[in-house]
Amino acid sequence: MHPSLREDYLEAVQLFSEKNTRFPSYEELASALLKTVPVVHSDMAELISGGDVIVSPNGVIALTVQGKQTGTSVMKKHETLQCFLSEILGMDKTSASDEACTLEHAVSDETIDRLGKLIVTHDNHQHQGKGRHRKFAGERTCRAETEDFCQSPGISEFSEGDVVIIQCIHGRACAQRLLDLGLVPGERATIRRKLSNGALVVQVKGCDVAVSPEIASAIGVERSP
Amino acid sequence: MKIALLGNPGVGKSLIFNQLTGLGVEVNRYPGSSVELEYGNVCYKQEKTEIVDLPGIYSLDGNSEEETLVRTFLTSGGADVIVAVLDATKLERNLYLFVQAAEFSPKMIAVINMIDAAERQGMHIDAGILSSHLGVPVILAAASEGKNIDRILPVALGEATPARVHVPYDHHIEAALKSLEKTIGTPIHMNLLALQGTGDDPVLLDAAGAIAQEISMRHRMSVSQIIATNRHNYAREITSAVIKRTDRKKPYDLDSLLTRTFPGIPILCTILFLLLLSVFMIGSWMEGIIVAAFTSMIITPFTALALPPLWNQIGFSLLIALQAGFGIAFPFVFTFYIGLSLLEDTGYMTRAAFLADRAMHRIGLHGQAIIPMVIGFGCTVPAVMSLRLLKTRREQTIAAVLVTMIPCSARTVVIAGIVAAFVGIFWAFSIYLIIFVLLILTAVVLSRITPGEQFGMIVEMSILRRPQAKLVLAKSWLRIKEFLFIAMPVLIVTSILLGLCQYLGLTELFEQMVAPVTVTLLGLPVYASTALLFGVFRKELAFETLAVLAGTANLGSVMTNVQLYTFAVVSVLFVPCVSTMAVLYRQLGARIAIITSIYTVFLGLFIGAIINILMK
Repeated sequence: MHPSLREDYLEAVQLFSEKNTRFPSYEELASALLKTVPVVHSDMAELISGGDVIVSPNGVIALTVQGKQTGTSVMKKHETLQCFLSEILGMDKTSASDEACTLEHAVSDETIDRLGKLIVTHDNHQHQGKGRHRKFAGERTCRAETEDFCQSPGISEFSEGDVVIIQCIHGRACAQRLLDLGLVPGERATIRRKLSNGALVVQVKGCDVAVSPEIASAIGVERSP
Repeated sequence: MKIALLGNPGVGKSLIFNQLTGLGVEVNRYPGSSVELEYGNVCYKQEKTEIVDLPGIYSLDGNSEEETLVRTFLTSGGADVIVAVLDATKLERNLYLFVQAAEFSPKMIAVINMIDAAERQGMHIDAGILSSHLGVPVILAAASEGKNIDRILPVALGEATPARVHVPYDHHIEAALKSLEKTIGTPIHMNLLALQGTGDDPVLLDAAGAIAQEISMRHRMSVSQIIATNRHNYAREITSAVIKRTDRKKPYDLDSLLTRTFPGIPILCTILFLLLLSVFMIGSWMEGIIVAAFTSMIITPFTALALPPLWNQIGFSLLIALQAGFGIAFPFVFTFYIGLSLLEDTGYMTRAAFLADRAMHRIGLHGQAIIPMVIGFGCTVPAVMSLRLLKTRREQTIAAVLVTMIPCSARTVVIAGIVAAFVGIFWAFSIYLIIFVLLILTAVVLSRITPGEQFGMIVEMSILRRPQAKLVLAKSWLRIKEFLFIAMPVLIVTSILLGLCQYLGLTELFEQMVAPVTVTLLGLPVYASTALLFGVFRKELAFETLAVLAGTANLGSVMTNVQLYTFAVVSVLFVPCVSTMAVLYRQLGARIAIITSIYTVFLGLFIGAIINILMK
């Protein structure tokens, strides 16, 4: 299968699942891509063997982690390109979308990053895909936080009396309260108490803060030198 | 003029508020225990000044109810002057909120409270240097001693200015702020919020969202983390410039006993047991006196008036309601509140929450849920009100059902009056055992089936300190007033309605209707259903009504032990009282109130039937 065909499929599934908050069936995917059902059937077999999608017995096509990654990345490229072509270069929307469909398979990540930046600085009033853009930003930061950003071990792996330096708060984006209480990257903290279940009292900025085990595991730290 | 008090939870804001306005006193040591705003008026130099006590918060960036409320208050210019109250012992952490508030550029002054405690810890704060850093007048105060509190109003009204605080943000953030300001024209505090995804201007949010994504990619850290770190570092710089430390001998660290599994958990259990025991002992003693006095001085003279039957019934119901209200409120609830305030003001409550975290996790809650549970042993009404300190709907729902099942002091009266007195003390304890088993089962099931996400506990530990009798009493008094305000109207209305039903003969009709359930299912006398009905209105009334209907106070002579035991179990388990239902409805909505009521009715009848079948 041609790489661009694969990307088109994954993008279409991802787009469908975001729009409808469920995965498509063969028929729905075929009509979205203007293809016939038998063609989709045979292409899916290839994607399944490539580890991009999983098809449930009732005929629902779901993305694997790998497939979703590709799908979202292509979708983002498409949005950025279309936005650039229509909003900044002034092309009409349909042809911008068509052209974006071709370009999205060849364009590099760096170009997309830079184009995205250009769009933001040049035009803060982009109307196209506004909602989606914002949602994207949220998704990106969350995923990045949990997977890429922080490799440090959780504070719960240290023991009572240890002095540690906080590296990051990962996982829960909602842990704003920790930041407010002074558990910010670079801050020195002392583990004042550790119960056997992993609940902690952490002293930071002269204040004792008690946290539940699941919160403690989200605080990435390194031993203080 | 309008002045608002702003600060972290537990900095003594409420105390300062009450000293300024001269109303009662309440010290809130619990995060989020003062959600509603308190207003007070004061006259200074022939001018009326309104003072608002804003809820205690740690930050203006979050999306909790309190934070949003304060943020809206600041942006809408709710006050002419903001009095920022800071805890001297935690100056660095407290300045974090100050610099955030300063970005909204209101006129401000800073009150550094608890300066006495800071001195004792060997920290000396230079007000002059701090004032030059912040650009606003600084008052060093000690609210617990009333020191310098009288300076707050003159300085706030005369010298308040917008603070000169400029947090040196990361240069990417600074660039983003400038570009947003230039392109969209929004002020800096809105841009900072928008970068963290908060705000209601879609154009700004959209632009800020894209930039934030870029920045967080570059820094490999979320924008909120960068901004928080910048602010904390700035606060640290100021703090290190204004505080001089001298070494003091560290006092003995009580926490080495209190927060360890051993002896912490035995201590926790002992404290809770002693609290409940003393409430029960003092409560029943006081209740006897109050009820007797009320009966001989008001009810007997009233019945002697021999009014027309209808009026007699209505008046009698009203008096009974008042007697019930005061009879339970002062002896039990007030005594309990004093104990509770002691636990809070000593700072022990946060330790209890920490220790209880593990057990609470098993049932889908977290440590802070121990507070509503403990309060529930005193009275269910305030326990339900305190549910708001749980963060998620899921936790509130689970805790609401559990709290209504916990034997409150009125239910303890039923158990003691019926079972301990006539059947035996051992059987009385067995009822507690049954309730706890049911509680745990309910909790386990609920934690499985209740939808929603669990949010763990993040609690700042209060400093351990000696409570002040005056503050404890004043706080308890404020709470009992709130209790009476909610419970009394419900008690009076229900009592009069029940009285009218009795007058119209509807209760007999009711007895006949539910007779199959009472007699066949539970094996109780027919009149027991009326007693149970009265129990809905106030739990211990079930016991008193039973005595009236049975025609003798010696219940053992008219009912078998099994009947007495069944009656006690059913009345303790089934339906929270009307005041509880009212407050459940107010706090969590009709659905939860109805579900809880229905569940407890069926649970009560079910367990009652089982006991009846097993023991007959």
